[in-house]
Amino acid sequence: MSVPPSHIFLLAALLFAIGAAGFFLRRNVIVVLMCIELMLNAANLTFLAASRMHTLAHGARPDLQGPIFAIFVIVIAAVEAAVGLALVIALYRNKQTVSLDDVADLKD
Amino acid sequence: MANLIFYLMAALAVVAALGVVAARNPIMSILALLGSFFALAAIYLVSGFQTLAALQILVYAGAILVLFLFVIMLLNLANETKLERIDLAMFHGRKAVWTFLIAGALLGISAFAALAIVPAAGDAPALPERGIDELQPLADAMFSRYLLPFELVSVLLLATAVAVLVLAKRNRGPLNLDQGGEST
Repeated sequence: MSVPPSHIFLLAALLFAIGAAGFFLRRNVIVVLMCIELMLNAANLTFLAASRMHTLAHGARPDLQGPIFAIFVIVIAAVEAAVGLALVIALYRNKQTVSLDDVADLKD
Repeated sequence: MANLIFYLMAALAVVAALGVVAARNPIMSILALLGSFFALAAIYLVSGFQTLAALQILVYAGAILVLFLFVIMLLNLANETKLERIDLAMFHGRKAVWTFLIAGALLGISAFAALAIVPAAGDAPALPERGIDELQPLADAMFSRYLLPFELVSVLLLATAVAVLVLAKRNRGPLNLDQGGEST
């Protein structure tokens, strides 16, 4: 593949921006969590694109920092999804809703 | 050929990401997210990251998305989806304006960084023969140089398991100790 690195970074930026927009726009907590996953994926893609760029720059010597950080990001994403979904279940049990508009108690 | 796959999968990932944000039904959001993850896995694969592509499918598509699906099915949100009014009004209003400003600024800054700062590589990249993240060097690095973060992450996973148990436990009010005898 001979795609320039900047195109991969652009794709990651686009995915992150879409995820951020969804994070602010949507009211369903579960969809908001999915948008966070989308943003974490974009971060992962950035790590891997940087790793690929450094590998190419250093004469095909593999740069392993990117993949290792990407693995850690995947673990953090799993942790975040588990805690977030547990919060959603607790919220639904107490308020019978998953809409963020109905739980904006701290705003008032 | 690999270039074509990259651009096709990039388009698919972006369209699927837009689908996640725009879908009315959360289950459609999950399916769109699944498509986005698979497209990203294909991109990892053609970029020379075969281990990460496998992890992406195993962990993201296989575990995390199933968790999301479980929760949606568990909560029975069929009538809940009507609550969210996804109409054009969602894309007007002050909040939407700020959202598009922030997202656009993010996109602009990162696009500038990608185009102006990242050096353009040569047109004939020579990637390592067996991919960048071959499993054995990756494991060697993970368990030697990055051992401390690895252990910290495992502690984090344990803490998460406990936290999820506490959060998702049904709240029965004050602890009742003599309940165990009659339940059997």
